[in-house]
Amino acid sequence: MRTRSIITNTSAGARINVTPMIDVVMVLIVFYLLVGQLALDRKASIALPTSSTGIDESDTTDPIVVGITRSGALTINGLPIDSQRFRGEIEGMHARSPSTPVRIRADRDTPYVFVRPVMDQLRDAQISRVELVTEQSP
Amino acid sequence: MNEQSTPTSTSTLTKKSKPLNRRNVLMRTNRFGPNMTPMVDVTLVILIFFMASATIAGHEWFLKADLPQTQDPNQQSAGFSLPEPVLNADLFMNNQQVFVRGISDEPRSLELFLSQLAQMDQSLTKGLILSIRAADDVPYQAIATLCANASKQDIRVAIR
Repeated sequence: MRTRSIITNTSAGARINVTPMIDVVMVLIVFYLLVGQLALDRKASIALPTSSTGIDESDTTDPIVVGITRSGALTINGLPIDSQRFRGEIEGMHARSPSTPVRIRADRDTPYVFVRPVMDQLRDAQISRVELVTEQSP
Repeated sequence: MNEQSTPTSTSTLTKKSKPLNRRNVLMRTNRFGPNMTPMVDVTLVILIFFMASATIAGHEWFLKADLPQTQDPNQQSAGFSLPEPVLNADLFMNNQQVFVRGISDEPRSLELFLSQLAQMDQSLTKGLILSIRAADDVPYQAIATLCANASKQDIRVAIR
């Protein structure tokens, strides 16, 4: 008995057509790799605060994303950076593109003592507005 | 040659025209055109993956907040150039709870402050700026909650 079209008769006998399976497996592997890498970059072990409201838009192409973990470790666009180099880096990025918004992705349990220096340095870099990233509360 | 091969292919067709072998028969008889099967497989896998990841990832929102400049560079967290009217909200912790000193000098819990904020008349909140200052141990969630509730009332938020 034949099983659908994956087994085809040839002159040499029956064989399994593995092409669709390879297609699907390759797509899955590539997709898992990409999504895994993106998730690592974006999340960086940050549990976002929840909010019941907010602006549901992402009208900008490349915002400057500042990450603050619970222990106060900083990242800029997913790349770790120490607090000494933070201001210079932000100033440079803001000078290159003053209209680019700055988004703060801080952990919900981060004590404000780790957030305040970031806000102060952003302020010192002449950044007058930030966007706090939150997660929609269920 | 054609006359010889015709009966063979006809008998093959007759033999394969069972319901289960419909695809196989079609593929064998109509060889022209692209084979859509792999493309459909891949498309379905991607579709399911996107649906699953969208559900798991959750939805992100953005809360706008101003960072007003200090009047005096030696002054930290005070003396901001904010236009009136400004409602100050000073957050601090007490017994593992977030309290706010703002609407009056008497401190009140964050929940109570939020409910009072929600009850404020629109004529009062129009053009109002909520100026937030927080103590070192206040969790960031409290600031985000305050920002979200102020945004709901169309109140601008400034973080000191």
